[in-house]
Formats: sequence, structure tokens, C-alpha cells
Amino acid sequence: MRDNMNALEAKHIFKNYSGYYALKDVSLAVPKQTVFGLLGPNGAGKTTLIRIINQITGPDSGEVLFMGERLNSSHIERIGYLPEERGLYKKMKVGEQCMYLAQLKGLSSSEARKRLKEWFDRFEIQGWWDKKVEELSKGMAQKVQFITTVLHEPELLILDEPFSGFDPINAELIRREMLALKEKGCTIILSTHDMGSVEELCDNIALVNRSQVILSGSVKEVKNRFRTRTFELRHRGHAIDIGISLGPFFELLTNDKEDDHYVAHIRLGEGKTLNDLLGNLLNAVEIVSVQEVLPSMNDIFIEAVEQFNQTQS
Amino acid sequence: MNKILLIIKREYLTRVKKKSFLIMTILGPVLFGGLMFGAVALALQDSASYEVLIVDKAGAISQFDSTGRGFESRFPGRFRYNEEMKINYSFLDKEIGTEGFKNSPYSVMIEIDDAAANNAPCNFYFKKLPSEMASSVIKTEIENAVEEFRVTGSLNLKFEDYKRIKVDIPFREINIEKLGQEDRTTEKAMVGFVFAVFIYLFIFMYGIQVMRGVIEEKTNRIIEVIISSVKPFQLMMGKVIGIGLVGLTQFLIWVLFSVIIFTVAQGLTAPDAIATQMVDHGTVTTTTAQLPVNPEANSAMNSVFQLIGEINWPLLIGMFLFFFIGGFLLYSSLFAAIGAAVDNETDTQQFMAPVTIPLVFGFIVAEFMIANPAGGAANIFSLVPLTSPVVMMVKVAMTGHLTMQMVLSMLILIATFVGTIWLAGRIYRVGILMYGKKATYRELWKWITYKS
Repeated sequence: MRDNMNALEAKHIFKNYSGYYALKDVSLAVPKQTVFGLLGPNGAGKTTLIRIINQITGPDSGEVLFMGERLNSSHIERIGYLPEERGLYKKMKVGEQCMYLAQLKGLSSSEARKRLKEWFDRFEIQGWWDKKVEELSKGMAQKVQFITTVLHEPELLILDEPFSGFDPINAELIRREMLALKEKGCTIILSTHDMGSVEELCDNIALVNRSQVILSGSVKEVKNRFRTRTFELRHRGHAIDIGISLGPFFELLTNDKEDDHYVAHIRLGEGKTLNDLLGNLLNAVEIVSVQEVLPSMNDIFIEAVEQFNQTQS
Repeated sequence: MNKILLIIKREYLTRVKKKSFLIMTILGPVLFGGLMFGAVALALQDSASYEVLIVDKAGAISQFDSTGRGFESRFPGRFRYNEEMKINYSFLDKEIGTEGFKNSPYSVMIEIDDAAANNAPCNFYFKKLPSEMASSVIKTEIENAVEEFRVTGSLNLKFEDYKRIKVDIPFREINIEKLGQEDRTTEKAMVGFVFAVFIYLFIFMYGIQVMRGVIEEKTNRIIEVIISSVKPFQLMMGKVIGIGLVGLTQFLIWVLFSVIIFTVAQGLTAPDAIATQMVDHGTVTTTTAQLPVNPEANSAMNSVFQLIGEINWPLLIGMFLFFFIGGFLLYSSLFAAIGAAVDNETDTQQFMAPVTIPLVFGFIVAEFMIANPAGGAANIFSLVPLTSPVVMMVKVAMTGHLTMQMVLSMLILIATFVGTIWLAGRIYRVGILMYGKKATYRELWKWITYKS
């Protein structure tokens, strides 16, 4: 087996729901031991794709490879899935319920009990074992759900909006657990609309829109692709000086005063470099600092989707 | 397979551990027995007392008493005070009118006139509706007296002679195949009907629990978590089997209870009273009038024991288990499909009717079979799988041995529930992931035909 093998590969997946394509020729590769962001507007087809990976439904055509093998039912116990719409049996006790879900994932009851105890200690919820689920708050139930998702130590973890319903402290707890799991070798597919956590956690992303993958790659690479050659320049000088000295090949987007200096956003013209820009400004203003402005995932998301939708219509 | 067992275990244990299960299991037989014996007891025991005034203008059944001022029964031995029912009779030879009755101390007033001799209707006034038992005792008393009046008055016969020539042959029905035994088909059909009622009730009660369970998982949104671990079909079957076992458990506990209660009750109470009440409870209103003093009580008890002895219990119980399980699998898989097709219980109505109507219909057919055990409809509906679980119970109890028809019915039921489970499974696997859409029958058909 190769070391750089993908944990999951989807090849040319089609899924049709009575005349409407939920997925159209979707291909993607999730490298092992990375966090993969599965992004896209509501109704784009993410949930369908996730359900196919979980073998809840099957594709009409195309294939899915898990650890290099064609997806089959023996893989179910090696995958953990936290759906966006998640719930628990309200009348059951927390401990009983965790035991049940763990055993459905193939753990023996003694092993399940042992691991649950560890996780309950780690999350400091030891006292919840005999509580009924209906007594828990939403955030508390989310914690229990997270535990049941990861308890069987899946090699692939699929988390659909894992942070919704959490306060910042617990969201941070989940974030830390995700990174710790990744350290241990787990591959994570993260589906979320929270672009902040995508920037923070994801190594690679795929953007699904209208049943197709319209953008994919590593976060770095994608950001590079969407860079606008814009620089943030902090300087001391007069607002007018910088405008005059820029010349025709540089576009001044903004120039705002901040404390004792200005912050200007400048886009480079075709064929021009940062050196050209600095050359023009050196004699006009006092340069404090300069750095490239990379687009946020949020901007990229919006731009990519809007571009795609325009070309479609 | 292991996972189905886990699901069955959860479905079973969460329900059996519920307080409502315990309460139903204890209260069930108490209620059932209470209803049966309560109905008899209510009819028998009547705390009210009746002051009956018979207005007999023609003096058909009454005459002046020895004092010449009051009236008494014309026929000695009739219209005595009925201690059991607390009925006291008085006579008058002229009408007191409705107003007069209202102000009188009498609770019932009956007007007998000449017409009564020709079977014309008589007015039976009451202040408070007498119990069915009491009113039948009063009416019988009057009818007998009028009968005696007609016999002795117009025909000039001695009443004793008349009684002797009155024909009343107690026929013994004997099946030529079973010489030496009386035929008790109707009674056996009633025993079968009790089992039919059980199947009917259990399919309804526990079928709806299956449906509720599916809806619960759907609205709880736990469904997606579960089916990422097990196949929808496994979850559906686990639920159906688990809940079916709850039903069987409850039934077995009830059987055990009934045996204990029956044995204890038999030891405590006069055995003939229980036996006669059991035999006659179906026709209590007309026949139990004479029950408390019935000299034939002993023979009635004997016939109950004979009836119990004549029923093929192993066959009946075996068939009960088969048709209970078969019928439950058939119906509860349909209920599971309904649960999967809707988002909440209020949306279930449009799909419930086609499922519950055959069940109710089977119940009605079974009821008619008691009156007409050999009817043709019974033969048809004991083969139709949607009605056979209920109808067949009556037939099995009646026939007492395995027939080709039963085997055929069982085979049809097996084929149907296999087919239904398959169909329901296909609706289920799509339905459980559908939210916010109000499913139509067209939609369901689409789900069935989806490729997996």
C-alpha cells in the first residue's frame, strides 16, 4: 500500500432522483490524515454525497473507493458519521443510548463501556450516564452525539455542521478533538457553512454547486487561484501623495487612516510586480509594512458560486 | 444478523421496561375479566326495587281478594313478591292515568286491556328505566299469566293439561361423524372468536406502536445516525420483531394470569355460578332471568367442561401463534411503511384507512361466523390474507383439526407477508429520509420503484 493513498475517492458519481440530478459526474479525492472541507450552498448535493459514502443510498453510476477498496458494507464500522440533522432517542438514558449506538457500530459491550467512560471523563460529563436524553440541553446532546460518532475510532469521520448548537467554548473543544483525531491518523470530511473553521481546520476543499464539483484542491492552492494581486500597504504620508505617485498601472482600492498611519489596498496591474509598486512609492511616502491580501474562503465561496451560476444561466 | 438482534433487544427492552407496559399487563386481564363478569353481574344484581302496578280493567289476570276491597292474582302462585329482583306486584281495575301514575308510589305501571288477549301492544310505563333483567322478569310474568288466562278462560282447559300438550322438544344436535357427542359448533366458534379478538387487538395495538416508533425515529432525527450503521431493512425488521415479541410477552403473561385467576376463582366461588355465567353471557338478557334458581346449572357447567375438552387446544394455540405472527408481520410492516411516509402522526390518516378497513372487516366477518359458522363468506375471507388472521381463528376452533383450507390460507399468508415486507421495506428506506414532503400514493409508488 502506498503511503500517500487517499482515504476516500469518488469517481464520476451520478445520482438521479426522478428526473433531477442530485449529483452529476462528481469526483473527489480525500487524502489520508487530512481534514477535507466539503462546501457548497444548501441543496447543492452535499448530503446526497455524504449519504452515498455512508452507504445510506447508492449512486446510479460511478464508484467510491475507501482506503483503495471499492466501498462495501464491511467499511461501515470504519466510518463515523455525524449528520447535520441529528437526534437521539429522547426517552432513553444517555449511557444506554451510547452503548446501543456503539454496539451497532460493532463494538463489544465491554469495550464500548470502557471507551465511553474515557470519553465521559474527558468531556467531564460523568454524571450524565443515567440522565434521560430529554433532560439534556441541545449543546449537551451534541456532545453526546459527537462521542457516539467517534467512539468506535473510525478511520474516516464525516462531520456535517459539527459546531452548530455549540457555545464558543464547546466549539473549541470539538475543534481540538478533531485535530487530535487527525493527529492519530483519522481522516475527516467536514461539511460546513462556517468558513472560519474551514480556514482554520481544512487542508483541502471541494466546492459543490448545483450537483457538480466546481472547485477543489488544497486550501493554499485554491486561495492562490483566487488571489487578486492585491496588497495591503501601511504608510505614513498624505493621502494625496500616494494617489499621485501610484501611476497608471496600480489601482488604489482603499486608503484609510488608522492611528498615526494609513492602510491602503492596492491592486497590481497586468505584468507589474510588488517591486514596481514599491519603486513608485519609495520617494512619496514612508512605508511601514506591506503584505499580500489573500481572499478569504468566504469570498472565494461566493465568487466561485456566482461565477458558475452566471455561466449556467 | 447480530445488529438485528441488537435492534430487537432495544425495541423489546425499552417497551417492556415502560411503566405503561406493566400497567397494561396487569390491568388488561382485570379489565377484560371485569368487563365480562361485570356485564353479567350488572345484569344479575340490581339494587333497585320495583313496585309494579298492573291495571287490569277486564280482570283477565286479577280478581278481588278475600277482603273484597283489594285485588290479587287470579292464578295462585303467580305475581308473588320476587325476592331476588325485589319486584312487588299490585293490581287495580281502573285506570289512574299518567298523572295519577306520576304521583303514585309505583315505579312501573302496566295497562292490560281486552286487546292484550289478542297480542296487541300493552303500555309499560316507568319512572326510571328498569334493568333489562327486571323488565324481562316482569314481562314474562305477565305473559305467562295472560297465557294461562287464555288457556283456562277461552279454551276451557286445565292449565296443567295445556302445559302437557305444549310441545317443547330439547333437540340434541349430533354430528354423524362424531356419534355419541353433542355438536357444539356455535360455542366453539365463540371460543375461536375470543382468540380472533386477541389477534385483532394485538395487531392494532402493536401495529400502531410500530408506526409510532418509526415516526419517532424520523422526527427525532436519529434515523440517519442509525442507518449509517445498519440497513434500513434491518432497522425495520428489528423494530417489527421486537415489538411483536412485546405483544407475545404480554399475551403469555395474560394467559398465565387467566389460568391462575380462573383456578383461584373456581376454588373460591360456587363452580356452577361461574360456569353458567360463562356459557350464557352472550345471551344474558333473555336467558339469565331464571339463572339464580336454575336447577340445570350443573348440567351447564358440565357442558362447559365438555366444550373445553372438545376443543383442540394444541391446534388452536399453534394456529393462534402462527396467525398472530403472520398477521402481525403483514400489518405491522404496512404500519412501518405508513410511519416512514409521513412526518407526524396527524398525516397518517390518508394511509391508515386501506390498512385498518380490512382488519375491521375481518373482525366483523368473524362475528357473523358465530351466527352462521358454515357461511360461504367465511370460506372466502379465511383465505384472504388481510382478513384470514382474524377469521381463521373462529374456523380453527370450530373445525378442530387441520384442513387443506387452513394449510392453503397459511401458505397464502406467508407469501403475502413476504411480499408486503418487501414492499414496505422499499417505501420505508426512501420515506425515512424524506422530510417536509407530503407523500401521495403516486409518490409511494415512485419510492417502491426506485433502484437501490
